[in-house]
Amino acid sequence: MGLRRTRRPRLAARMLWALVAAGLVAAGCGGGGDDDADAAEPTGARTEKSEQGDPVYGGSITVGLEAETNSWLPGEANFANAGITVALAIYDPLMRRDADGVVRPYLAESMEPNEDLTEWTLKLRPGVTFHDGTPLDAQALKTIFDDYLKAPGSNLAADLEDVEEMVIVDDLTVTYRLSRPNSAFPDSLTLAAGYPFSPTAAAAAGEDAGAHPVGTGPFMFESWERDSQLVVKRNPNYWQEGLPYLDEIVFRPIPDEDTRVSSLTSGDIDVLQTLRQATVAKVRELDGVDTYEQLGNNTGVNIFNTTAPPLDDVRVRKALALAIERDDVIEVLGGTGLVPPSSQPFGQDDPYFSEAVDEAWQDGDPETARELLEEYVNDPNRSDGKAPGEPVSFRYDCPPDPTLNELSQLYQAFWEAIGAEVELRQVEQATHVSEAIAGDYQAKCFRMGVDRDPYPNLKGAFTEGSSTNFTRFTHPDIDAALEQLAASTDVEERKQLVEDIMLTVNEHYPITYSGSTLAAVAVQEHVKNLDGWTFPDGTPGTGVPGATVMWGHVWTTE
Amino acid sequence: MPLVLRRAVALVVTLLVVSFLTFGLTSLLPGDPAVQILGAEAATEENVAAVREELRLDDPLLARYVHWLGDAVTGDLGRSYRTNQPVAEAIAERLPVTLEIGLLALAIALAVAVPLGTFSAFRAGGLADRVITSTTFGVLAVPSFMMAILLILVFAETLRWLPATGWTRLTDDPVENLRGALLPALSLAMGELAVYTRLLRSDMITTLQQDSITMARAKGLPTWRILFRHALRPSSFSLMTVVGVQIGTIVGGAVIVETLFAVPGVGRLLVDSISQRDLMMVQGVALVIAASVVVVNFAVDLLYSLLDPRIRHGRAATAR
Repeated sequence: MGLRRTRRPRLAARMLWALVAAGLVAAGCGGGGDDDADAAEPTGARTEKSEQGDPVYGGSITVGLEAETNSWLPGEANFANAGITVALAIYDPLMRRDADGVVRPYLAESMEPNEDLTEWTLKLRPGVTFHDGTPLDAQALKTIFDDYLKAPGSNLAADLEDVEEMVIVDDLTVTYRLSRPNSAFPDSLTLAAGYPFSPTAAAAAGEDAGAHPVGTGPFMFESWERDSQLVVKRNPNYWQEGLPYLDEIVFRPIPDEDTRVSSLTSGDIDVLQTLRQATVAKVRELDGVDTYEQLGNNTGVNIFNTTAPPLDDVRVRKALALAIERDDVIEVLGGTGLVPPSSQPFGQDDPYFSEAVDEAWQDGDPETARELLEEYVNDPNRSDGKAPGEPVSFRYDCPPDPTLNELSQLYQAFWEAIGAEVELRQVEQATHVSEAIAGDYQAKCFRMGVDRDPYPNLKGAFTEGSSTNFTRFTHPDIDAALEQLAASTDVEERKQLVEDIMLTVNEHYPITYSGSTLAAVAVQEHVKNLDGWTFPDGTPGTGVPGATVMWGHVWTTE
Repeated sequence: MPLVLRRAVALVVTLLVVSFLTFGLTSLLPGDPAVQILGAEAATEENVAAVREELRLDDPLLARYVHWLGDAVTGDLGRSYRTNQPVAEAIAERLPVTLEIGLLALAIALAVAVPLGTFSAFRAGGLADRVITSTTFGVLAVPSFMMAILLILVFAETLRWLPATGWTRLTDDPVENLRGALLPALSLAMGELAVYTRLLRSDMITTLQQDSITMARAKGLPTWRILFRHALRPSSFSLMTVVGVQIGTIVGGAVIVETLFAVPGVGRLLVDSISQRDLMMVQGVALVIAASVVVVNFAVDLLYSLLDPRIRHGRAATAR
């Protein structure tokens, strides 16, 4: 059923650390108690759909999104899930990840590395044109790369940092030259850096290019009123024979979860996208509505600043981790019965999810936690400089949101129960992120994990000097494993390396986990085939990762 | 006209003060706009420095303000940091939406409150008055977001008469536009009309006890004529003041109602811009809001003198 990954990059298109947006809360299973064979329903993603039937051409659908996107120009746009799903109508990704975690060509015809993985040669399909008639050729890719993606101020510049230059090989072939081996490079082209847009149209629109996207995708941009609606029309010259089915899609950002559900109930919208567990639970109950869910890599976490006393001492961090009861956290977040507790930035359905890491992670052991904390408290050389016997105290930050307030209070209760003093502080989102980047905090609530290759994300999170190494945690073993990870194309070997990295990380407790995130697309029954997309070579697709949809394959029977 | 001139000077001074304060306050906000633009992952030191340089964020506050002011005077409010959309264009898109909903709400509120308040005063203490009074108190106790959810439940989900969310531009389809505006306007109007009814009722009760009204009754004038021709005007001062203040705040948008109904108004724009540190947009919107508050207050002052001859001739009387 292809129930795979969630994509939840909040700011840049590929961040390991997605943000705790207001109420974007993880959720988890009730676990423990209700294991009765008849009562217990397994946690995790479910897909419930009506009879799909044969494809029908024509028709228009309206899609309710959780958020508006600032721009549609790669490099300028901050594509979160709601943005990616719109982008997938207008643009085609050069590459996409399949169900086994292998990155395959989608718009590209092929992608091949050289021997040492420092050069990646991408071949385009002949005869593909942008919506404005500009041909998609090597020159177009190079102009996009040089003038937009790598331009100063581009938010993809960091993603493409290792790419020194793009070289035109022939009319339809380019080579990306990297400064170091990177087996995960094709993964960068699954997101915004791999959405080709017409360089002629972008040049003509100048500063306004972000409001006039021109891609190669199944639908052509028609109009956009910010915070109201974006309309796309069928691309009659689409390069994939027989696609798309729909004539028109209207995307409407409806930020409030309840009124988005109301709009689906009242028939104002045909499709609803959500990443909130409470909403997932609600749409499951609606009549005449099909739901497509996926459990993603995104998970709720706490981050500890491993350079800030007393959290610079692993005994303290481990004590705080052991004091937590993940099932209770998930209950507060409204995900009981929906999603499992997490132990790594990979959801159960991801190829890089590790059982060993999951088994090694422990929580709900306040006795050991108390002992560890006491050991630190009575240590004459304790790192916070306090006299032995004085309690450990620190500050915990989380953005203002009713659910997150409850979450903070729960953590406070866990930690005070083992003898720590915890001061709670509400901090607004923008400040929260800036402080995390600057390392100007002790402990914070956060989100982590994104549906793409583990390499760029783990590298960002646990190497020195990275802006997303919020915890400031580094380790020589991790550095070595990351280097091997970049140099290997063998999936089994890479899985082993990722497992080793996560075991090392979790032994040092720079982060603690709560629960995975369930993403869902809910549709009126007349909207069909949300998860039925395939790669152009017929390889089955991965459904609706992170509630993003390949719209070219969707049809309506109304 | 000296009055208009004085008001114009006051307007300019107010706008200067407001824009400078907005500028100063927003730059005091923690959280770097450059980080917001780049996103956490791309926020390396060099990238942040490059963006800060491009946006002149490292210039002294005063230098930045003067630069912005120089452009603003020529009508150029700059471009949004976040969306790269010209600020003036964004405001021009949003303002009509916010104004339409706000004015529609006001119209609904007045259309209901004036007869209701008048009648309530006329029958003060009677059954109708008590029903009206307790109902308006009840409505007052319901916050607008709660009202919005209730209205959606009834009119969109159950009856399916009106859309739950969404906005159609007036120029695209006036009927759809009105359908989309109705529920947001109603949720705002409910709270307002309760206040207006209460205000008018209490002023009206005072007016109705005056000799002139007794006189009018003695002359045998019909009740509706007494109420609406003779009593309404002198009873509407408090109402007028509150409505004036209300109109001034309309331009700022109704954040919660706009968000709930997914309407592209000024309120949502402002709040999103603040949380994303889109200082250019915040600055432009604050300027427009301040300007309209000042202008509306001026208009209300003029209206007073139209309503009450004593104010109109006040100066002449003192001079004599």
